[in-house]
Amino acid sequence: MKDPYETLGVQRTADEAAIRAAYRKLAKKHHPDVNPGKPDAAARFGEISSAHELLSDKEKRARFDRGEIDAEGHEVHDPRKYYRDTKGQERYASADGGAGFSQEDLEAFMAQAFGRAGQRSDWGATGRPMRGRDMQYSLTVSFVDAASGTTSRLSLPDGKTLDVRIPPGTEDGHVLRLRGQGGPGFNGAPAGDALIEITVAPDPRFHRDGDDIVTDIPVSLQEAVLGTSLEVPTIHGAVRVAVPPGSGTGTRLRLRGKGIRHGHQFVQLQVVIPPGDEPELAEFLKQWTPRQKVNPREGS
Amino acid sequence: MMRFTAVVGLFPDLPETELTAWVQRGWVRPEGTEPDWIFGDIDVARVRLIHDFRHAMAVSEDTMPLVLSLLDQVYTLRGQLRAIAHAVEGQPEAVRAAIIAAIRG
Repeated sequence: MKDPYETLGVQRTADEAAIRAAYRKLAKKHHPDVNPGKPDAAARFGEISSAHELLSDKEKRARFDRGEIDAEGHEVHDPRKYYRDTKGQERYASADGGAGFSQEDLEAFMAQAFGRAGQRSDWGATGRPMRGRDMQYSLTVSFVDAASGTTSRLSLPDGKTLDVRIPPGTEDGHVLRLRGQGGPGFNGAPAGDALIEITVAPDPRFHRDGDDIVTDIPVSLQEAVLGTSLEVPTIHGAVRVAVPPGSGTGTRLRLRGKGIRHGHQFVQLQVVIPPGDEPELAEFLKQWTPRQKVNPREGS
Repeated sequence: MMRFTAVVGLFPDLPETELTAWVQRGWVRPEGTEPDWIFGDIDVARVRLIHDFRHAMAVSEDTMPLVLSLLDQVYTLRGQLRAIAHAVEGQPEAVRAAIIAAIRG
């Protein structure tokens, strides 16, 4: 049997006139004879009638309000709801409860004592909404994946997996936050977040400079002087690059749009003098007079 | 949820001034502010309990803070113990057995 105040839709403080008015309105609406097609109208009308019967009787209403009788007018044998049986005792939790042994301490203790399972402990028993905890993970991705973006699968300690989207240009040490992927919340509170720290593995072929990529490529003396075509790695795959004749160490070739997002890749040439004895080269250089006199240390 | 006057109405021998004093001393902590206090189920149950202490058991007013402080500590510990028990309950049989053995010393 429902609460008669609820049945009539009136406040507990409603006076007799208000109760009578509410009853008349509902009775008209739910009378079985005006609702021949609704089989449950009789039951509803019965509820409304008994609610009115109880609330229109001053004495019965007072006894109901005191909890001595129930909505059907029956004696309640033990109307008393004891403190120990009532939810919400934590509202009165002692501030120095258990000598500084707070709920947070308890949580930490259980996490330590029982491992991750401790965190699953049902705080529902306390009735307090509590957001799930944030979980920390780390994920290592290759330089190329971090630069161009990828989706990486993270295996969690509990056997679940999490697909983590690594956005293009993710930097080493960056922490990605996945909302709601952490520990479960209690009593309707939201789950915590997964915090994933990204480690970017270095790649000997590439250096990062903002959104630009810098690559050092060694070339032979002949290639530098005569020009050539080279295959160069980029984060988007290998590309062929024309090295113009007369290039030298420090010449930077720009590969447009081959960097991170809208950045570029720069190829820095390193001219390698042939190792070992090259008497013909030495002889030639002795005879050779450059057409343009240049002091490479000028201005340095 | 009950208003102040409804709570007073539950007890034929509880003057409004007395309940007001209980709230002002923090023995009962309803929502809202005076005089629009709203008593939840737990608050009403607590009023009944304090009423029992003061009227049925004649616990003196000076002793009440001590009694309530001890009472609240017990219920706090009970709540924490329940959480531990629940956590232990969720463990595999072997772990539960090991914990019970350790508790029995």
